[in-house]
Amino acid sequence: MNTFLIIFLGIDILLIGAFSPMIVRHFRAHRWHKEQEEATKKQPKVPMQNGHLPPSVREHLLEEAQKNFEKVLTTSAEELQQDLHAASEDIHKLLQQMGSNAVARDLDAFRARLSELQKKTEADMAGAQEQIASHQAELKAKLAADMEAEKQRLLTQLDTKLADAVASFLTEAMQHEVDLGAQSDYLMKLLEDHKADFAKGVKDEA
Amino acid sequence: MKLSLPSAVSSPQDLQALILEVREYAKWYNQSATKKRLNVKKTTEKPELSPATEELIRAVAAKQPLSISIIDDLVTTLQKLSHDVPQMTITLAAPPTLGVKKQLVAWCRENISPNILVNFQFNSVLLGGMVVRYGSRIYDWSFRRQILENRAKFPGVLRNV
Repeated sequence: MNTFLIIFLGIDILLIGAFSPMIVRHFRAHRWHKEQEEATKKQPKVPMQNGHLPPSVREHLLEEAQKNFEKVLTTSAEELQQDLHAASEDIHKLLQQMGSNAVARDLDAFRARLSELQKKTEADMAGAQEQIASHQAELKAKLAADMEAEKQRLLTQLDTKLADAVASFLTEAMQHEVDLGAQSDYLMKLLEDHKADFAKGVKDEA
Repeated sequence: MKLSLPSAVSSPQDLQALILEVREYAKWYNQSATKKRLNVKKTTEKPELSPATEELIRAVAAKQPLSISIIDDLVTTLQKLSHDVPQMTITLAAPPTLGVKKQLVAWCRENISPNILVNFQFNSVLLGGMVVRYGSRIYDWSFRRQILENRAKFPGVLRNV
């Protein structure tokens, strides 16, 4: 904002500088003309000494002066126009340069800010990814543990049911096919194997 | 009188039957002795005795000549035995054969008490093995018990099949 204000003020100063000589000259010309007229009016009319400047000369001189004045004025206007054109170009260039500098500066600042934000975002993302990975690992471990516990529970349940089924099957199937003749040796072995326990029991009972 | 019960006499019922037969024999022996003393020619037939009773009477006669008092003494001894000897119960998975009974009774009389009486029962639920009850103690050596105790091992065994 300050930059544009400075540019505006610069343009103002240039314009004032360019127009001020013309204004002064114009002011002087008018003032001088008025003063001459007033002086002429105030002075008692002295009849022109026709012998001094003939009217044709006077008129010629006036025309010449007018032409000179117009010429000076035209030259001044042209110079002023050229100056204005040059000043305008310079101002345009300066404005362009200032604009591009400002834009470049802003762009650099924007890029730096963007880069900073990108770095911060990357850091945040990396942190978030680490947290997600950690959480994922935790969840995986918990899931694996839960799965293992559930598997063991089901396995135990299955084993229990299987054991019950086999035991029931054996008790049901074998009770119809008991052969004591084949078991006699086994029965004697049983008694021999538990002889000590049995003897102790008999002694305790006695 | 000291005596050893025949191996065929294993249970209290067997002993009661033995006592009854010996009593019958004693009655017959007494009548026969009286008739002989009175020269009565008509004799009554000897009561039919089981092999166990005959074995017992032969064993007693081998030690000393039979007489009324000896036979009465035998009956008294047998009655006393029925109250005094230790008793046990063996439950098997099926009704035991005579051979099995003799084997088991012989082992018990050899290792526990010479005249122990063994009461045999059967219960097919046991599947095999036996359950022995002596006094207040019960020894369960049945297949059923073993199966139920080891049923937790079945899944492992089946997995290895």
